[in-house]
Amino acid sequence: MLLVLSEDHKEHLSFLTKADGSVVEEFGRLALEFLRKGTNPKIYEGAARKLCVPVGMVQHGVEGLMFLMTESSKHMISEVDFMDSVLALGFGEELIQSLLQLYVQHKHQIRSILSQLLCNQPAYHNLEWRLDVQLASRSVRHQMVPMVTIRLLLTRSSDVGSTQSCMDLQTDPSSLLHMISTLEAALAAVKTSDARRILRNIK
Amino acid sequence: MRFRFCGDLDCPDWVLAEISTLAKISSVKMKLLCAQVLKDLLGEGIDYDKVGKLTADAKFESGDIKATVAVLSFILSSAAKHDVDSESLSSELQQLGLPKEHATGLCKSYEDKHCALQDKLRDTSLRLRRLDSVSWRVDYTLSSSELREVNEPLVHLKLQTQGTEPGSSDTTVVSISPDKFRVLLTELKQAQAMMNALQ
Repeated sequence: MLLVLSEDHKEHLSFLTKADGSVVEEFGRLALEFLRKGTNPKIYEGAARKLCVPVGMVQHGVEGLMFLMTESSKHMISEVDFMDSVLALGFGEELIQSLLQLYVQHKHQIRSILSQLLCNQPAYHNLEWRLDVQLASRSVRHQMVPMVTIRLLLTRSSDVGSTQSCMDLQTDPSSLLHMISTLEAALAAVKTSDARRILRNIK
Repeated sequence: MRFRFCGDLDCPDWVLAEISTLAKISSVKMKLLCAQVLKDLLGEGIDYDKVGKLTADAKFESGDIKATVAVLSFILSSAAKHDVDSESLSSELQQLGLPKEHATGLCKSYEDKHCALQDKLRDTSLRLRRLDSVSWRVDYTLSSSELREVNEPLVHLKLQTQGTEPGSSDTTVVSISPDKFRVLLTELKQAQAMMNALQ
């Protein structure tokens, strides 16, 4: 499939079409650093001074290139489609080749960074438990009540990194046994023929 | 095959794989490595430079060093968790393929620090909201906006508990009238008598 880019985007990248190969490579490197660590205004000012263009243009160029890379990686477009999309933007032959190199080298990295951005549900991190026996309470003495106390540690990744939360739960042994049998039934569901058929087709 | 130090379950595959890595270093160096890992398990911190020097002869890469430390931590903490004595541990490790001198060295280090390790594991067991400290103050209320002559004593209790995040603490302040305080004290004394009966 061909990438369809908005007019603004094409305008931002038009500045790069007239630049030469080393500049485009440098901008490509900046775009990938942007993805990994965020922007650094000083670098933009330095580049703008060297190329004698306004800082805004440098920034738009880097952002445009970064968006091009993320969109291409997101849709996993083939090399031919990538070259055609970039050709439509007005890049020269050798610039197309260097952009293609950039895309092919960093496709998987970009995809793994993108996949980390989208985890909204808290995920299992660790489970701590203890087994107690309640012998007496304020109202009733001489009891024998076994209890399992569980601390479920969860992590949730968000824009600012990952946050940890914990949930304290208490259960009696029969509920615990029921929980275990339900979870084992869930695990066994992966091995049914329906699930196996779906997994085969996804592979 | 069921192993006691794994809690009467099968030994994990990665432990089996890393036991052969352990056999590559000499038994003397392995005993020193065990000492370092035990220091880490007891909360005293591990000296990675020393570990690096000990494994340098066998030319371990960083992945191998991490694997060795992980497998030693697992064996020692798991054996302490399931209260395995050192002869059984030695014979089970030899069944898994660890050479005899290495197994004896490991078990000697384990036996020395066995009780300390179990105490440390007991301390780090799950506890909900541990009580850190209690402070109290007795006041005598003379008068208030509701009543001109009050003349009643009042107890203020401040309880510091550990919060859910490690390192955070919560403070609860309670003020109690004398009668309620007497009830609280009697109930707590009964609970204490029951706890002492169990000791």
